Amino acid sequence: MSATDSGRQVLRERARALARVPEEPASHQRLELLEFRLAQERYAVETRHVSDVHPFRDLTPLPGTPAFIRGVVNLRGRLLAVFDLKKFFALPEQGITDLHSIIVVNTPGLELGLLADVVVGVRQVDAGSLAPALPTLSDIAAEYLKGVNAERVVVLDLDRLLADPRILVNHQST
Amino acid sequence: MKWNVGSKLGLGFGAALAIFVLVGIASWQSTRAQSEEARLVAHTHDVIATLAGLDSAVRRAESEQRGYLITAEERYLRPYEAAVAEINTYRLRLVDLVSDNPRQSARAQELGPALADRVARLAESLEVRRRQDFQAVQAVIIAGQGKAAMDKLHDQIETMAQEEERLLETRAVASAEAMRAANQTVIGGTLIALLVAGVAGFAITRNVSGPLRKLTAAADRIAVGDLGVSVDLGERSDEIGLLAQAFTRMTRSLRSMAGVAELIAAGDLRASLQPQSAEDALGHAFVKMIANLRAQIGGMLEGATVLGSAASEIVASTTQLAAGASESAAAVSQTTTTVEEIRQTAQLASQKARAVSDTAQKTVQVSATGRKSTEDSLAGMARIRSQMEAIGASMMRLSEQTQAIGQIIASVEDLAAQSNLLAVNAAIEAAKAGEHGKGFGVVAQEVKTLAEQSRQATDRVRALLGDIQKATTAAVMATEQGSKAVDAGNRQTEVAGESILALAGSANEAALAATQIAASSQQQLVGMDQVAGAMESIKQASTQNVASARQLETAARNLNDLGQRLKGLVASYSI
Repeated sequence: MSATDSGRQVLRERARALARVPEEPASHQRLELLEFRLAQERYAVETRHVSDVHPFRDLTPLPGTPAFIRGVVNLRGRLLAVFDLKKFFALPEQGITDLHSIIVVNTPGLELGLLADVVVGVRQVDAGSLAPALPTLSDIAAEYLKGVNAERVVVLDLDRLLADPRILVNHQST
Repeated sequence: MKWNVGSKLGLGFGAALAIFVLVGIASWQSTRAQSEEARLVAHTHDVIATLAGLDSAVRRAESEQRGYLITAEERYLRPYEAAVAEINTYRLRLVDLVSDNPRQSARAQELGPALADRVARLAESLEVRRRQDFQAVQAVIIAGQGKAAMDKLHDQIETMAQEEERLLETRAVASAEAMRAANQTVIGGTLIALLVAGVAGFAITRNVSGPLRKLTAAADRIAVGDLGVSVDLGERSDEIGLLAQAFTRMTRSLRSMAGVAELIAAGDLRASLQPQSAEDALGHAFVKMIANLRAQIGGMLEGATVLGSAASEIVASTTQLAAGASESAAAVSQTTTTVEEIRQTAQLASQKARAVSDTAQKTVQVSATGRKSTEDSLAGMARIRSQMEAIGASMMRLSEQTQAIGQIIASVEDLAAQSNLLAVNAAIEAAKAGEHGKGFGVVAQEVKTLAEQSRQATDRVRALLGDIQKATTAAVMATEQGSKAVDAGNRQTEVAGESILALAGSANEAALAATQIAASSQQQLVGMDQVAGAMESIKQASTQNVASARQLETAARNLNDLGQRLKGLVASYSI
């Protein structure tokens, strides 16, 4: 009957493990992310930078700008520069369609529209679950990455990206 | 004196004829006297009429003259003058009429001055009236001289009339006398003549008809072949006697002829006969007959000999002929059987031809039905085409509507995308709100899920729509192909219709030809019937030929026997 006892012991352990309440992660360590797709790759930005999302429509190209500045759009009376991350990250180009969306992001002193292929949605991830950027992922993007989570979602560090002087067109031209 | 029959007849009838001539002369004389009397009577009547006319004329002249005397009008004068002229005329005629009678002639001469005196007095009175008045004339008339002259004249005329009346009476009496004498002569003469003629006729009849009756009886007996008669009338020298002698000579001659004929009848042709005269027809005929008979019997003898041998040959030939006829009959019988077989074959052919003709007629009907079916299928094809066109139009509408649906779906997709973005925006806003926005974040997540479901639904609809569009396109293609197939079918049907028309024409011609063949076959059958009938007739004729040949054979044998008998008969004659 020892086998029966040992078996009963195992079952008891298993029930205890299943009945345990999962540990609540620390709230301050949680990141609120807006996930989107760029050329089959999944990216995300923190929602604290995002003001809103709009369908990409009525682009007016701007001559004399770098390739990653696609042009400007009129969003409810505001003129917004459209920034193409695919050009910036040298991702494969698939053309612009109406299905693209514009993610309006804000940093102090700068408002910009990011062009996204598909906006997936808002999700929360643990800040600790982010792994450092994989060297195979993309060499260019490494300095703007916050990390990659288990689902291979690349979380961009918008503070660093938008602070990059390369994107400041006016400054460079003047 | 010898009295022959002619003299007797002449005497009897001559006497009667003479009496009739006398009677005729007497009648003629009497008639002539009568007509003379009648002429004299007419003359006397004429004289009396003239006297009356004279009297009347005198009276009329007087009357007309008196009219003038009374009236003194000229219109009475013309009749008066006419009456005076008439008086003169009558007077001259009277004188002319009575010139054959002396007494009357004298009286007429006396009448002349009296008349002249009367006319003169009348004229005188007229003169008196013309010159003086009526009283003077009245005095003349009262004097009465005119009246006295008038009375005298009247008496003279009356006397003459009485004289004529008396003459008339005398003549009538004489005429009656003459008439009676003539009647007596005619009646008596006629009676005497009748008597004489009767007596003469009776005597001549007695003398002539008796002997003639005897001779007639003898002639009758000779006519029936009795040559032993003799006529005895005694010694008569007139024509009857001569006739009796001639009869006797005739019977003698006939008897000699009969004797010769009996010899010939007995077969003795050596008898000779002398004709009585050159005109002896019977004698000459007998001589000629004997000569001819001799020649003929000789010829017959030779002929009988030839006939006998010929009859033998004929018998042989007819035997062969009979055998040949039998063979020919057998052959004809076989031919008849063959012809009958051919006829049955022809009948079969005729029936087959009729069946073919019927079949051809049915074919014509079937082809007519086929033509109608072709027309029906053409109409059906036209209906199918119109329906195909309707289907095509429906398909086009369906395609257009599908496109409209696609546009709607695009709109819905757009809406779903916008909803998605709105849900994302809501989630962002909820995240910004922190703890308080959590419920709103759940709602935003639900909205996003709904938007996602809408998008998936629209994807499915789009896929379905794509299928529908493919199916529609396929259906349109199929419709077009169907339309083309219908066109092709239509053409095929038209071709089939033309073929069926041609077939119908051919069937018609075939039917006509079959009908003609049937008719020809029928005619052939009729002809074969006739041939069979003819062969049957030939067969009968052949059978009759065989029978005839047999009869002919028998007849030839009989002929042969006859020839033998004839030879025997001819041999009994002695030439």
